[in-house]
Amino acid sequence: MWWKITSVLLLVYTFTLGMLVPLRPGILTVSPESGLTRQSTVLTISGYNAHFTQGEGQTRVWLTYDDENAILAHRVKALSDTQLEAEFQLPANLPKGEATMVLNCIVDNPADGTSVLPNAFQLKLDSTTMQEYDPTWKAHPVEKLNVKKGFTYPYRNVIYETIRNTYFHVPMWFVLLFLLLASATYSVIYLLNPKPEYDSKASAYAETGLLFGLLGLVTGMLWAHYAWGKAWSNDIKQITTAVALLIYMAYFILRSSFDEPEKGARLSAVYNIFAFATLIPLLYVVPRMFASLHPGATGSPAFGGQDLDNTMRAVFYPAIIGWTLLGFWMTSLRIRAKRIEDKLGGLD
Amino acid sequence: MKWLVFKTLLHKEFLLEFRQRYAISGIVLYVFSMVFVVYIASVRVQPPVWNILFWLIMLFVSINAVVKSFVQESGSRQLYYYQVANPVVLLLTKIIYNTLLLLVISALAFGTYSIVAGNPVFDYPLFALVLLLGSFGFSITFTFTASIAAKANNSATLMAILSFPIIIPILLTLMRLSNIALRVIQDTSYQRDIINLLAIDAILLTLTFVLFPYIWRD
Repeated sequence: MWWKITSVLLLVYTFTLGMLVPLRPGILTVSPESGLTRQSTVLTISGYNAHFTQGEGQTRVWLTYDDENAILAHRVKALSDTQLEAEFQLPANLPKGEATMVLNCIVDNPADGTSVLPNAFQLKLDSTTMQEYDPTWKAHPVEKLNVKKGFTYPYRNVIYETIRNTYFHVPMWFVLLFLLLASATYSVIYLLNPKPEYDSKASAYAETGLLFGLLGLVTGMLWAHYAWGKAWSNDIKQITTAVALLIYMAYFILRSSFDEPEKGARLSAVYNIFAFATLIPLLYVVPRMFASLHPGATGSPAFGGQDLDNTMRAVFYPAIIGWTLLGFWMTSLRIRAKRIEDKLGGLD
Repeated sequence: MKWLVFKTLLHKEFLLEFRQRYAISGIVLYVFSMVFVVYIASVRVQPPVWNILFWLIMLFVSINAVVKSFVQESGSRQLYYYQVANPVVLLLTKIIYNTLLLLVISALAFGTYSIVAGNPVFDYPLFALVLLLGSFGFSITFTFTASIAAKANNSATLMAILSFPIIIPILLTLMRLSNIALRVIQDTSYQRDIINLLAIDAILLTLTFVLFPYIWRD
């Protein structure tokens, strides 16, 4: 009983905080997107969730090349909370003598903390003549950055608000793994001690596991629609997941294709164990060999350390526990329903 | 004793194949027809497509070659084996026999396919290794699914739906390795993929041995 309440509480917590906590301020766009060296240029920066008027007078804007080379705007004016005007005197050359280079934009003020837009501005050399290294690059290094206090989620370009899907899409795979592991475990127990209830439990866990797999696929496709431009882009993980679901659909077909229930239960248990053993390489080994659009692809199919910050962890871990408990709760209901079905079937 | 049983059973598999020559000739003809259908459907084949089509041919031919291993022998004969032999030994002979059969078939398929569609292979030792590992992986998986499917009602359909999804990890790895042998992709650290493949094969083989007695018992 207590774990069902815990599940509900954790999921309420996940939905409330997951949906309501705002994103940290960030930079949406910088225009114009390119300029020539030795020019004076005025950039209009539009921010997201930003409070530029509150930081008036204390806002600093940089265009940075790397850790050491950066140019500071000499005039910054807030047009509104989300519009900022920054005037730069662009230096005479590029730090490493290139002809063109893409700079990152950093905005910093006490109200919003620091926001970064990578690859915001393209700087081109105005002539082909070689120039001396311009010391302006080192005159105002990026330092004394403000940190925004408060409970907010990271602002990331490309995914923006969809970062909240982390609490719904990612836990589905954890739950899927736990439920299918439980299913395989009950199949092993059935083979050691053939009682029909173990077989019916194994099948119920596989059913809810399949449901969570479908939900994971659907939430993933929704996310992909926003982040990658289309719902299905034949990413290796989308394919292997679809195949994993096919394996379990085959399991249900196998279950229903025997006349004798005992024989069907035994052979399906064997296939279930075998299927779980192929599921692990399918979901965790094969995707590492191919290029993927997923974060942390090629190498680790899961999250990298920097993808999850502490505020997100505070919701992400409870979300996993909440969804897992919900998965087991749903399965226990399914097992009871099956038991009733069996009893009714026996009366006929 | 076990060794003798093993030898006898393996000998029996070859003898059976030799006596029912229509089965092996059927598979050989299946390879030829499949190769020609694929060739007619796509006359000019670039190496990446060559690779995909080759493994598709191999997939279908292997399933058809292995599916008979449990269906062809009658129930009473199965009962006889059950009394005289250990299921693990029986399964081992089937897997070894099917691996050899698939090796021969893959050599045959490679030969005919390269005659009609050209031969883009650069790295022959690697390609041969891929064929060997492929035959072994296909043999383990398909022998296992054939043993389950043989017990069910519509075994032909069931064989396909049970086998296709679980062969995918092996098939994707094989296609990647064979792409490396064809120099479609450059990768010098493909040893890791071979180890992955061997690991998958080892896990499946172990599970097959552990689980087969439960399939076998009727």
